[in-house]
Amino acid sequence: MLIVSGIPVSSGVAIGRAYILAHALNEVEPYNISKRNISNEIKRFNQAIKQLKGELLGLKKELKKNKMSEYGSFIDVQLAIINDPKISKNPLDLIKKSKQNAEWALKVQMEEIINKFNSIENSYIRERKNDIYQVCETLIKYLIGHESKQLSNDKNRIIVAHDISPADALKFKNSNNIAFVTDIGGTTSHTAILAKSINIPSVVGTQNAKNLISNGDNLIVDGDHGCVIINPTDEVINEYKLKQNIYELESKKLLSLQKITSKTIDKVSVNLYVNIEDTNNIDPVMKNNTKGVGLFRTEFIFMDKHRMLDENEQFTIYRNLTKALPNKTITIRTLDSGGDKVIEHMPNTNQNPALGLRAIRFCLAEPDVFITQIKALLRASHYGDIRILIPMLSSDNELRQVKMLIERAKDILTSERKKFNSKTLIGGMIEVPAAAIDAESFASQLDFLSIGTNDLIQYTLAVDRTDDAVSHLYDSSHPALLKLIKVVIDAGTKAGIEVSLCGEMAGDPKLTKLLIGLGLTNFSMHPSSLLKVKKVILESQFSKLKSKAKKILNTHDKIEIENLINNLNN
Amino acid sequence: MIKKILTIKNELGLHARASNKLSTEAAKFKSKIEIIFHDQTVDCKNMMDILLLSIGIHDSFTIKISGTDEKKALESIEKLINNLFGEGK
Repeated sequence: MLIVSGIPVSSGVAIGRAYILAHALNEVEPYNISKRNISNEIKRFNQAIKQLKGELLGLKKELKKNKMSEYGSFIDVQLAIINDPKISKNPLDLIKKSKQNAEWALKVQMEEIINKFNSIENSYIRERKNDIYQVCETLIKYLIGHESKQLSNDKNRIIVAHDISPADALKFKNSNNIAFVTDIGGTTSHTAILAKSINIPSVVGTQNAKNLISNGDNLIVDGDHGCVIINPTDEVINEYKLKQNIYELESKKLLSLQKITSKTIDKVSVNLYVNIEDTNNIDPVMKNNTKGVGLFRTEFIFMDKHRMLDENEQFTIYRNLTKALPNKTITIRTLDSGGDKVIEHMPNTNQNPALGLRAIRFCLAEPDVFITQIKALLRASHYGDIRILIPMLSSDNELRQVKMLIERAKDILTSERKKFNSKTLIGGMIEVPAAAIDAESFASQLDFLSIGTNDLIQYTLAVDRTDDAVSHLYDSSHPALLKLIKVVIDAGTKAGIEVSLCGEMAGDPKLTKLLIGLGLTNFSMHPSSLLKVKKVILESQFSKLKSKAKKILNTHDKIEIENLINNLNN
Repeated sequence: MIKKILTIKNELGLHARASNKLSTEAAKFKSKIEIIFHDQTVDCKNMMDILLLSIGIHDSFTIKISGTDEKKALESIEKLINNLFGEGK
């Protein structure tokens, strides 16, 4: 038994057998073609081209039907690549000249093209080589022709691949796959979009799962925790089967909570908000009776386009959100790039990006970028309840500069005679320990606060949780962290402003009661956690939790804290 | 034979989709159509060749067209570039 971890992109548990998507390109060997068979080889090649074109066109239609148009542009580019004589004609000359097989000719030609792409400076264009690679990979699969045999009607198949191409996607959509595992990719990769749209558990970015897993291996894919268990023991399988049953039962039960207002037993209202990253995934905001969006991470809209967006482009995106989410609060965080998220057009400077020029620091260094975004936000807030959230504040001085730039943005809008809401609420993310300790000062100058626990934990405990050597030290119930959270909540209460928590802690139902006990009444989380957390809230009694939480705050031993939290939850 | 210097005005330059539109348009004509950019000459009917030139916004290149329908070809290519390849910016 072996466990591989990756990024969970689609929730649920799948138990099945591995089906490895082979790298057909690695299997290609040259062999000689006799003169009279050359015309046959050319026919084979042309047939493969025709087949792929047909599949891509079919896929494009399919996607239009399913409203997955973001996939459509991938396909147009791939179609263009097939239509280019470099792919569709040059290999034919090579077959004739070298008298070698079609697969080999295509591979030689592909390597030549990819070398050319590698020497291009513009990274956006350079990355197109992945499309060329995928097109050739698919063509070679058709040419080798072994794949369709394996893709028979084996049930409970878990696809394991380096990456999944749009062309593969069509086949997978309609067949018996129950999970995806890929070596590369993140939450916005092709595979993630596909997995979410057909709602099957998936883990991406495993780096080496494909090498560790063999065809036919028994696999468990845990799409909630991002782990893949290879050849699990019977006990583990039984455990997960139980989990699967409970998961199905629970999700059915949870659905009945959608419309219910979230309140504790003793009638304390607890507001639920949703964290979103793109404008396509906002259904949960309306469906689950939430107060709105607690965190819209705008850097992803920039990353999607690989560039900065101008004021009007941003305005349109924000305004469309107000239309799509009537009567909801929409909290939009200004650009939080740097750190782990880098937009290509931005300078990526130093070795320790988490402590470097990121988020508001970057925006203050590039005031034009910041003012453009603020203008777009102020204009959009004329149409709905938009609030602006400033990330990574660490000092009073920064806050003053931010406010000055916001005033400047308002002046510009006034002189441009553009409509905007001059009373738009401005809030601050509390994610730097300095800001948490000095929360009273921030609370007195802002309209609301939002605690970003992911970074607050990283900075308070000095732990990079993506570093395997220290990730075990990352602890969301560390007494120092809980004390900081309490300080921020109390500062908000004193100033009479709203404090919410939008890190992963907010979506962890094991911590819900503790946070309520600390006085938190606003939670913002990934949509998949909403109902689980709501269920815990409905079972909570604030008056009892308060004293128990106080006890936890005064405890220092990790195991004792864990016991007390368990006790709180039972 | 006609030659003209053209300037790219769309924000993303001749990226994948724009290169595709340009080569598709060029392929509609019988004339030989070439792009000359920084000492490189490529066939305007090949999408990948255009893409590999990595031509960005405000870059200028020479277009060289020779054949019976050269005037019409130039006209429709200029139109495509001026219309920002239908990208609106």
